[in-house]
Amino acid sequence: MPTVLEESIHARTPPRKWRISLVAQRFALLGVILAIWWIASLPMPHFILPGPPRVLEAFRTIAGNGDLWSNLGITLGRVGTGFLLATAVGLPLGIILGSNRRLGDFFEPIIPVMNTVSSAIWATFAIIWFGVSNATTVFVVFMTAMPLIITNVWQGTRTVNADFIELAQTLRMPAHKVMIKIYLPTILPYFFSGARLAFGFGWRVSLVAETLGSSSGVGYRLRQAADLIQTDQVFAWTITLVMMMAILEMGILRPLENHVFRWKKEAEGS
Amino acid sequence: MNAPAIASESPATAATAAAIAVSSVSKWFDGSEGQSLLVLKDIDIQVPAQSILAILGASGCGKSTLLNIISGILRPDRGHVCINGIPSRDFQDWRSVSYMFQEDRLLPWRTALANVEFSLEAGKMPRAERRRRALEALQLVGLNGFEDAFPHQLSGGMRSRVALARSLVLDPCILLMDEPFSRLDAQTRSLMHQELLRIQQMKHMTIIFVTHDVEESVVLADRVVVLAPRPGRVREFVDIELDRPRDPTLPEVTRYIQRLRALL
Repeated sequence: MPTVLEESIHARTPPRKWRISLVAQRFALLGVILAIWWIASLPMPHFILPGPPRVLEAFRTIAGNGDLWSNLGITLGRVGTGFLLATAVGLPLGIILGSNRRLGDFFEPIIPVMNTVSSAIWATFAIIWFGVSNATTVFVVFMTAMPLIITNVWQGTRTVNADFIELAQTLRMPAHKVMIKIYLPTILPYFFSGARLAFGFGWRVSLVAETLGSSSGVGYRLRQAADLIQTDQVFAWTITLVMMMAILEMGILRPLENHVFRWKKEAEGS
Repeated sequence: MNAPAIASESPATAATAAAIAVSSVSKWFDGSEGQSLLVLKDIDIQVPAQSILAILGASGCGKSTLLNIISGILRPDRGHVCINGIPSRDFQDWRSVSYMFQEDRLLPWRTALANVEFSLEAGKMPRAERRRRALEALQLVGLNGFEDAFPHQLSGGMRSRVALARSLVLDPCILLMDEPFSRLDAQTRSLMHQELLRIQQMKHMTIIFVTHDVEESVVLADRVVVLAPRPGRVREFVDIELDRPRDPTLPEVTRYIQRLRALL
């Protein structure tokens, strides 16, 4: 009998050799992209397409004078605030709408409508209501992220297994414990994929919002650099953003997800 | 071993000693065209303490409904159920009555140990005490060493053992089971039967289980109640007066099996 368990544990990690070759492939891809970029930049004037060395120089400048860190911090703070507010509102609303059929049916049309409203429209409204301030970006992130979280949690709530509820009933488990011990763990994977989507979207729309209604942050600096035709800086900011997303995704979100959902079958996970 | 179940012809005399007494219980369900459908009709069953009762019947005869009424999940429309002499609507100590389902219903996000602990989390038991008792229950069903395994890492038989441990961890005096081993292969099932009988001997539980498997009812039960379908009603009580372990290939066991088959 123990062999059943051992086998499934061994099956969990892919072969070492295969993983190393995957890493090598990723680096090769990066090299190819850099090479194409560099070759393409050679005949171009630097204010149209600056080459990798020039962009690296610009990156050093903004990183050196603190410009990079302060603006990145500001943007991240706004995205984080908007996202947390969206979670605080979206999670309970999703659970309520998902567990109460009548309420769910009544409010159902709102979500797709909210999802189709462009973030530029939210940004316009935000400027009218909040002016040039932190609240503008936070509001836009919030309005974009919240429907995504609601939709996913809503969906998750509908998948709660009635058998587990019945089990809790035979144990005479009080309702709030059923919420915490059965509903929440069932919803968590759905919430996670919703939150991930919401964070990604929030991060992107925050730049739109900052370009339109802010006097600080990465989005504002991007537009400023473009206005001053500092194309190398535009590139430097863009690469910063890409790296930021990659670090968040691979350094935080994916390991967290792997840990939280370690109970899932391999087949489902990959 | 001496089975305490002596066939009592008159239910009235057994009523005082009965762990569970079902008295003229009837139940209607809402039918498809607004009509109510009689699923159980005038059921009378006495189950003496520390005995094993099998409710045997074809599918659709209301045997699971009857079990749900006994467990207090459903209310009877007529009649009543007494547990240890107390009418079930006044009965408080539901945590001494365990229910084991047809499926193992293990929570996939919990380890074996945490699944067993789940039973104890309805109350206010401290964490350390929960853990200690859950470990004990896992040991009782022979699963030491598998505390940290997740359900998908376990075989069907082991999952069934975890589900049994989850029922036993409450130290129930009454164990209700709804075709608990029907999804297991024949070999694992007979292994689980032996385990169940061993534990029942040790813990002195009263067990009521529902089954459509004649052999299972003869191997396990002191007494079998055969239900007739549409509406579900008692066709006959059959006392199994055989020593344990009961090998289903022995002639006296097969005689019971044939007799019950004829009644179905």
